[in-house]
Amino acid sequence: MNISVTIGSATFKNPVTVASGTFGHTEKYYDLEEVKQLGALTPKTVTLKAREGNPPPRIVETPSGMLNAIGIENPGADGFIRTKLPALKKIGIPLIISILGHTDNEFELLTEKFNAAGGVSALELNLSCPNLGKAVLVAQDPLATHRVVKAVKKISRYPVIAKLAPNVTDITEIAKAAEEAGADGVSLVNTFSAMVIDVKKRASVLGNVTGGLSGPAIRPMAVHMVYAAAKKIKIPIIAMGGIMAAEDALQFLIAGATMVAVGTANFINPRAPLDVLEGIKAYMRKNKIKDIKEIIGSLRN
Amino acid sequence: MRKIQGIYKVASNEKLCPKFYRLCIDAQPIAKKVLPGQFIHIRTKDGFEPFFRRPFSVYRAKKHVEVFYEVVGPGTKIMSHMAKGDDIDVLGPLGTPFTFPPKGTKQVVMVAGGIGIAPFLMLSDVLCRERATALRGAELILLYGGRTRGHVYPMKEFKENGCQVHVATDDGSVGTKGRVSELFPKIHADRKTTFLYTCGPAPMMASVQAFAKKHGLHGEAACEEVMACALGACLGCSIKTTKGYKTVCCDGPVFDLHEVIFNH
Repeated sequence: MNISVTIGSATFKNPVTVASGTFGHTEKYYDLEEVKQLGALTPKTVTLKAREGNPPPRIVETPSGMLNAIGIENPGADGFIRTKLPALKKIGIPLIISILGHTDNEFELLTEKFNAAGGVSALELNLSCPNLGKAVLVAQDPLATHRVVKAVKKISRYPVIAKLAPNVTDITEIAKAAEEAGADGVSLVNTFSAMVIDVKKRASVLGNVTGGLSGPAIRPMAVHMVYAAAKKIKIPIIAMGGIMAAEDALQFLIAGATMVAVGTANFINPRAPLDVLEGIKAYMRKNKIKDIKEIIGSLRN
Repeated sequence: MRKIQGIYKVASNEKLCPKFYRLCIDAQPIAKKVLPGQFIHIRTKDGFEPFFRRPFSVYRAKKHVEVFYEVVGPGTKIMSHMAKGDDIDVLGPLGTPFTFPPKGTKQVVMVAGGIGIAPFLMLSDVLCRERATALRGAELILLYGGRTRGHVYPMKEFKENGCQVHVATDDGSVGTKGRVSELFPKIHADRKTTFLYTCGPAPMMASVQAFAKKHGLHGEAACEEVMACALGACLGCSIKTTKGYKTVCCDGPVFDLHEVIFNH
């Protein structure tokens, strides 16, 4: 059974990774032998300078999902490369590093830092974090998306993946802009802008007022966006959006995704990415599918 | 993953007073490892309603892992209907435990508000043992504040551990009338020999912090925040401290009393 997939020049032994910001403290809580089974690890987004994140409360439970407004708390690129990257490299599976610049130049500087650090399989450009108080996200503007992807692509020694926002009128337009700028793949989708109000206090529950919705609540919308984008672009799609089990991941693969990322499910079931991987293999065995490529984009209607 | 996740059996589930319940879980691997102040993260039900797991301080870990809880929302409501023999999905033990009072401590005071009493029985179990050695001759005191009579239960295990128990209720239906701060005169405020622990609503812990600051006392606070992963991954449960944002799940739930900024 062949379940390996490629994005640009990067090869992954299977199509399952974790969504950025949902997997941490690997060494303390996880069985590394299990983690090594994943196709790739995608750590939390790194910015050029350290960020302390948004005021609490940062999360709230919603029907079949959650809102978060963490605000990209991270040690900054230098801190990440010094304190976190060595342990991540040691795990020995491909790393997809998520980066976020506040300007085009910051994206370039981040790219240069990871070019120098080495040991990375791909860069994922976070063009779509909804929690940083920006009026318009890069991924809400096809021209800006094109510009950032092109700038990074020009200097990156790694394949470049653009992580896009679902809060757009036409996802295919943005995905196309990324493809035309030379992106090796797109990640679909980041969280949906959302809020929950405490009616007793007449105040938003989150310290940041608004947040991003994730979990099974967004899955059908995410599946639809992957389906729509896959029809319009040729580069691979990493799909995410409420994948809790293998069947959810298979929906995205059938809709046209090449890889899948398990995100919010990690918070409920730390074994979810492995359960998804095992479930995909079981589905292939049961349906006598020899190559994962037979599933990707295999929608029959 | 496997290291910390297990499906266990409910051993018992009982209502101790109108507001509080005790759930006992047959979870030997956790009972053997857990330290006072640590917590477990319970999935109350398969499916996605409620969506998050729920974190609970370990109330006691002897034969079973015990959880002391109040029904406040959908998760604890489901828990209140659990019965002996039911499966329960638990992550744990998690978080940073309490540290022990320094040598020479003569009075250990636990200040609890409502369900904030949850981490203190196990702490008192360990402190009680320590009184035979490092804490010889030290007094153990529990100052407990509840809203009404419904929030008060006998607390006989604390008494068996040699704790002096003092109770205040907001409406005066049991013990002293007023907030738990009405009981602060019981504290022998000596900076070298008194050590404080507190757990409860933020305003209550803020009052303990202010008292400690005024008298130069040291102590620790067990904090609470809504949690998703409880593994330090999502950074969702961060609270403000004098050293920046810290996660309640990994950096805490126990923090230095003077480090937490309660009124953010």
